Amino acid sequence: MTYQVSIFLENKLGHLERVTSILKAAAINIRSLHLNHTANGWGILNLVVSDPVMAHQLLNENGMSAALREIVVIKMTDQPGSLDALLKAIVKAGVNFTNAYGRVVNEGESAFFVIDVQDFKDAVVNLESVGLQIVENRSVYGN
Amino acid sequence: MYWEKEIETLERKDLEKFQVKRLMKSLEQAVHSPFYGKDIEIQGIIRSGINLVDQLQELPFTTKEQLRNNFPWGFLSVNKKEVVRLHSSSGTTGNPTVVYHNRHDLGSWANLMARSLYAAGVRDTDVFQNICGYGLFTGGLGFQYGSERLGCLSIPAGAGNSLRQIKLMRDYGTTVAHAIPSYLGRLYDVFKEERLDPRKDTNLHTLVIGAEPHTEEHRERIEEMFGVKAYNSFGLSEMNGPGVAFECTEQNGLHIWEDAFLVEIINPITLRPVGEGEVGELVMTTLDRQAMPLIRYRTRDLTRFLPGKCKCGRTHRRLDRIAGRSDDMFIIKGCNVFPMQVEGVLLKLPEVGEDYRIILATIEDQDEMIIEVEVKKEWFRGDLAFLDRLQRHITRLIRDEVLVRPFIKLVEPGSIPKSEGKAVRVIDQRIK
Repeated sequence: MTYQVSIFLENKLGHLERVTSILKAAAINIRSLHLNHTANGWGILNLVVSDPVMAHQLLNENGMSAALREIVVIKMTDQPGSLDALLKAIVKAGVNFTNAYGRVVNEGESAFFVIDVQDFKDAVVNLESVGLQIVENRSVYGN
Repeated sequence: MYWEKEIETLERKDLEKFQVKRLMKSLEQAVHSPFYGKDIEIQGIIRSGINLVDQLQELPFTTKEQLRNNFPWGFLSVNKKEVVRLHSSSGTTGNPTVVYHNRHDLGSWANLMARSLYAAGVRDTDVFQNICGYGLFTGGLGFQYGSERLGCLSIPAGAGNSLRQIKLMRDYGTTVAHAIPSYLGRLYDVFKEERLDPRKDTNLHTLVIGAEPHTEEHRERIEEMFGVKAYNSFGLSEMNGPGVAFECTEQNGLHIWEDAFLVEIINPITLRPVGEGEVGELVMTTLDRQAMPLIRYRTRDLTRFLPGKCKCGRTHRRLDRIAGRSDDMFIIKGCNVFPMQVEGVLLKLPEVGEDYRIILATIEDQDEMIIEVEVKKEWFRGDLAFLDRLQRHITRLIRDEVLVRPFIKLVEPGSIPKSEGKAVRVIDQRIK
């Protein structure tokens, strides 16, 4: 299973920086970042990091509301039209996702697409059945 | 079972006779002060004498404002030389409220305090840790003298410094602790951070909580955290401080010590006594204080008498937990709201923490009630939809309770400032 770290954050000066300074102190590398924002003054920060278990523990110890959430990371190429092709395949697999973000791995060559779905087991099976390549943890976390 | 069996279980009619006798003495003492000395109604009653406590209703009330306006010596009823201690409010706004005690007063206060603790099951074999501010605040010295009088090994720990509090508890095997309820939530967090469980890693068997109005739900949470019984304590500095009314081990209302205080509950608007069992403002007359007797003092605390007799056998009536203060009610969009109503709703929800804050603000010419609520770490799943549902759920529950639609603001745990004194729950920023 692959995890992102999700953190409840108020939209206030310095709150995101508090997260990054904790990760910096533990030499945890951020591989990808996505920030949700609501109209109510708070949001959720989603991070793909080099050591999600450690990051989760450290953030909680420092008084933050952090959670580990399962994600599916799909491999794609970094070319015009490749996200479109990827999404068509996801539709074919019948997988609906609630949140998505991406990351370029090698410019002009490869990228990762991160999705958050309701039912992981089925999603992975269905995505693989249409020929999509799920990225293994080692590559996602970059270890 | 009882600290002073005879007085605590005195038949009602005998208790009233006792009160009449003491009331007469109190009035005679009060007129030695510049303030009551000018009161012709008290002089009249002293001349004609009283035989029923109800005759007290012929006398005027005393208010906090009068205490302030007659600062500093207006209510002093003995020679200054006889006074041995004063306690006072901070007085950051205007004159402080000051109360003087002579030796007799301190002795009777310590005795009431010991009686209270005894009623909650505290014994001379206990180790009593007093986690509260010493100095001008009455909770420190009040509990200190009371626990010493009872014979406990007392630890005058003072407020704050949670790590040291935990260390003291563990070093000396504290069995009873007294603190304000909002602090205990914070102390529990520090226990957890230290990877300690107060249920297993301390010898606590009893907590005493007071000085801050709180709900039954809040008490239950504290009992759950520490795995012990938490008894409610009520007092106010004008009536010495703690030791005015206290829960016995039945945990069903607070016995108010009627040999020391004459108690009335009035409608704060009509100033007439409320009907039996109705909520109103507590009015108190000291019956055993010499340096500064107070007559029909309006406490501003809202409560009611619980009907019936207590199973413990004490005949002193029981007050319901304090339902707020007649002066911390606020009016928003035409509705009367007590902060305790909001607290009652919030603490029924397991997803939110003990701390909350009500901010009244003017937004685009409209007065709004914003309630900041902390989402507990354990409940966070990184799920936006869950938080959204929670926010709507709280909004609906509070609107149903107070009839005003609040704006619920979810905030990070620990972000609501915790005070080591009484928690500030309402901030009014409205443009008036």
